[in-house]
Amino acid sequence: MAGDATLDRRALARRLGQLADASVADVLALAPATPATVPRIGLTGAPGVGKSSLAGRLALLRAAHHRIGMLAVDPSSPLTGGAILGDRIRLDELAGAENLYLRSIASRAHSDGLADNLPELLEALAAAGFEELLLETVGVGQAEHAVRSQVDTLALVLMPGAGDTVQAMKAGTMELADIYVVNKSELAGAAQLAAEIRRVQALRAAHDGWQAPVVLTSIHDGDSISALSAAIDAHQAWLDEHADRAGRLAARARYRLQLLLERRLGEVLDALSADTLEQPLDMQFAAALAALPLDRTSS
Amino acid sequence: MSTPTTSNAAAGNGAAPLRGKRILVAKPGLDGHDIGAKVVALALRDAGAEVIYTGLRKSPQQIARVAIDEGVDAVGLSILSGSHRELVAQVVECLRAENADDIALFVGGTVPAEDHAALSALGVRGIYTSDQPLADVVAALGAALA
Amino acid sequence: MSSTRPRPTLGTRTMAGLEIPVTAGPELLDPDRIGTPGAPPFTRGIFADGYQGRLWTIRQYSGFGTAEDTNARYRFLLEQGQTGLSVALDLPTQCGYDPDDPMARPEVGKVGVSLSNLAEMEILFDGIDLGAISTSFTINGTAAIIYAMYLATADKLGVPREKLTGTIQNDILKEYVARGTWIFPVRPSMRLIADTILYANEVTPRFNPISIAGAHVRDAGATAVEEMAYTLANGLAYVDELRRRGGDVARFARRLSFFFYVHQDFFEEIAKFRAGRRLWAKLLQDRYGVTDEKALMFRFGVVCGGSSLVAPQPMNNVVRVTVETMAAVFGGAQSIFTCAYDEAFQIPTESSAELALRTQQILAYESGIARSVDALGGSYLVEHLTNQTEDAIGAVMREIDDYGGVEKAIEDGWLQMRIAERALERKQKVDRGESVIVGQNFFARDDATRGIGETFQVDPNAAARVIEKYERIRDTRDAAAVERSLAALGRAAARDDENLMPYLVDCCHAYVTVGEMVTQLKAEWGEFQEPVRL
Repeated sequence: MAGDATLDRRALARRLGQLADASVADVLALAPATPATVPRIGLTGAPGVGKSSLAGRLALLRAAHHRIGMLAVDPSSPLTGGAILGDRIRLDELAGAENLYLRSIASRAHSDGLADNLPELLEALAAAGFEELLLETVGVGQAEHAVRSQVDTLALVLMPGAGDTVQAMKAGTMELADIYVVNKSELAGAAQLAAEIRRVQALRAAHDGWQAPVVLTSIHDGDSISALSAAIDAHQAWLDEHADRAGRLAARARYRLQLLLERRLGEVLDALSADTLEQPLDMQFAAALAALPLDRTSS
Repeated sequence: MSTPTTSNAAAGNGAAPLRGKRILVAKPGLDGHDIGAKVVALALRDAGAEVIYTGLRKSPQQIARVAIDEGVDAVGLSILSGSHRELVAQVVECLRAENADDIALFVGGTVPAEDHAALSALGVRGIYTSDQPLADVVAALGAALA
Repeated sequence: MSSTRPRPTLGTRTMAGLEIPVTAGPELLDPDRIGTPGAPPFTRGIFADGYQGRLWTIRQYSGFGTAEDTNARYRFLLEQGQTGLSVALDLPTQCGYDPDDPMARPEVGKVGVSLSNLAEMEILFDGIDLGAISTSFTINGTAAIIYAMYLATADKLGVPREKLTGTIQNDILKEYVARGTWIFPVRPSMRLIADTILYANEVTPRFNPISIAGAHVRDAGATAVEEMAYTLANGLAYVDELRRRGGDVARFARRLSFFFYVHQDFFEEIAKFRAGRRLWAKLLQDRYGVTDEKALMFRFGVVCGGSSLVAPQPMNNVVRVTVETMAAVFGGAQSIFTCAYDEAFQIPTESSAELALRTQQILAYESGIARSVDALGGSYLVEHLTNQTEDAIGAVMREIDDYGGVEKAIEDGWLQMRIAERALERKQKVDRGESVIVGQNFFARDDATRGIGETFQVDPNAAARVIEKYERIRDTRDAAAVERSLAALGRAAARDDENLMPYLVDCCHAYVTVGEMVTQLKAEWGEFQEPVRL
């Protein structure tokens, strides 16, 4: 779909629904030959930091200048698979924003904060003609790694009282963000947290030369949202200038392939009979490998 | 392009009869009684559905817009102000204008028996009231959306 | 009915979870806590002579369609012996929309009467002596405007403002949490409420400018204990706001009143009211040093019915309402509204409304239960349960304090979420058969009537007539006066040292509409952003 064409929201919604439910075989069948690439922004952080409201404000702000496709992931109940998909953008505002499309998805079985076929969903949005994609996910620990490869600019959202997060940063498990956001900056401790993050950041070499800024935000302060948006613009500009685009896209493609292979492997393992699993290990392994190829004729 | 035949959204089972279903629970008009909508939304989630709840005071246009963008299977309108006939008609019209009248429509709230036929004629597939057990509502929805 | 359902049992806990001793005896009495009727902390009642001194006000909630339709119903009810009016307003009026607004159009005249401007209120009270009849308005987001309109109506009828009696509910905090007719964000709404109360204390000293209502959180699912706790917490929030504005607690507290639901658990309700009276007096004494006895009096009105009434086998509701009204009488309510048996599914018909009225009259004049103040005082069970309830209420109030107070709890959506969770629990208990609703989950019949033959029909032309009148007023009023008074209102709203009431009254006199006034205020204050948390 060309960037100038009017968006067929219904068709896009259907497509996203198909992809969200698609099996590995179907994903392969539905994958476009030449996928479009548009800038992708990711917002992640622990539950409760106010990410949803922030993402909503940011999306509305940027939708004034770009056609934005937004995906927001909420956690599913591990027991029933159900989920309440969150309130981000007041419908009064959303309905008026022609340039913004928001799709809420449940994480389903994922423990990494993502959702089934997330790379495919992002691809479908890119193909629909949006100029920018915004992805919001719940990030706890390794989730940041998962999101990292799927977006170009990753903002990690924290709030005052996030002592654990700073410890994790020092331990090196949370160094992947391009922008650090201290949200709920009206609360006590915001300035201190920002300072601490800056200190930790200064101690390690800036990866590839980008110095991740710390932005203080509050949903009550429109200027702070603009500041966040400006930081994103700055990073995007820096990426265009300096970054190894091919390398980034390769990492993204690898992770995407990994997700698909893992799912395929999961399908195979689920289908292995109890008898097979009583065999010697090397025979189990061989059986699993042998079952991997997709039988296209049966899909 | 093939239509997926093997879905990895597990079909509804006894424990989660609405698994894989996406449902919008909406409050059209000015009615401020949201507790029924919230209770139903929670029950639908516990039955495995992915639920979006709109909050109060939404216009038919806003409801239709989110129903379409989010690709929901069903919209549940919660109305206790007596204005169900007008509001349902408005929502139906907005969905139709976007070629989305295949989205199943349900109504909950205070709907007297004599209005049931009129709502069915508008396309409403089920009408639920607070005296019905939640399990019945979930089962009815599950059957309607199967 | 499934054979795996439990049989109904009596249970040993109230609906709020308080233990009921099977055998209550004198060891449960704590004589020091019982007190005397008419003396602080008023556990046994605010007046020593109880209902002999003054019977409760029989105040039936009513309103629908056009002002003419409602005026006719009010005249009927007054003729039948009702002693006060209780005005139900339609949602557009409550939410601040004029009848021609697209959001308003389907709702005009449905749940109450449409009062978009002064001309409508003049019709509403046609033939009714405002100086003699007490009028209560269930109005919140637009309470200040409706009160201004009431003053303007009295002005035009030549009724001195000092003679006016009645109430405006004017309790925005519970709107955010359970009733949904909010308009502006929390802070400017609190400002407007303080404006109304401080002005009313001067200008209409016999008028109650606020009725702090727990009723709606109860109806939404909160327990009796939570209902009282949230209400008292809201009450304290208003007291604090008024004190911040320089109000004298001993003075304005005399005109604070409260409003609750009465549900089916008889002793739970009686204990709730007695504990509420005691707690409120103690809170005012301990926190603010109030000594004026009149200021310590916990005055309240009740509605019997609400979500305790169900659609299946609707005549059962007559029995429920009777039991609830008795609890209200033993609990010492100052005004009682009894729901009609068909309230669960429609606006009452004239005959069901009449039966609701007769219920109160029979209890008042035939049963004798009102003759002696706090007739159940001294009962081992009632005194024990009152003490338990007082403690339980205190515990919930401390939780709210720990969270950071009611305003924060509301803005964060925390209170709303608690209520939703409670409502889900309540529903699940009923579905599992742990809670009995006769005719619904037990003793039900598949072929049971869900309605009665006669249904109430809102006149389908009412909305059209309302809009017609509204357009005529807009065409014929003095446009310059409208513009002037609206502009003055806007300027005053932008300052936080102006009481908006005189400006609102001026607007009403100029026939500015409710929607126009609200739009002007929204321009200054913005709209409340509902935190949707499930």
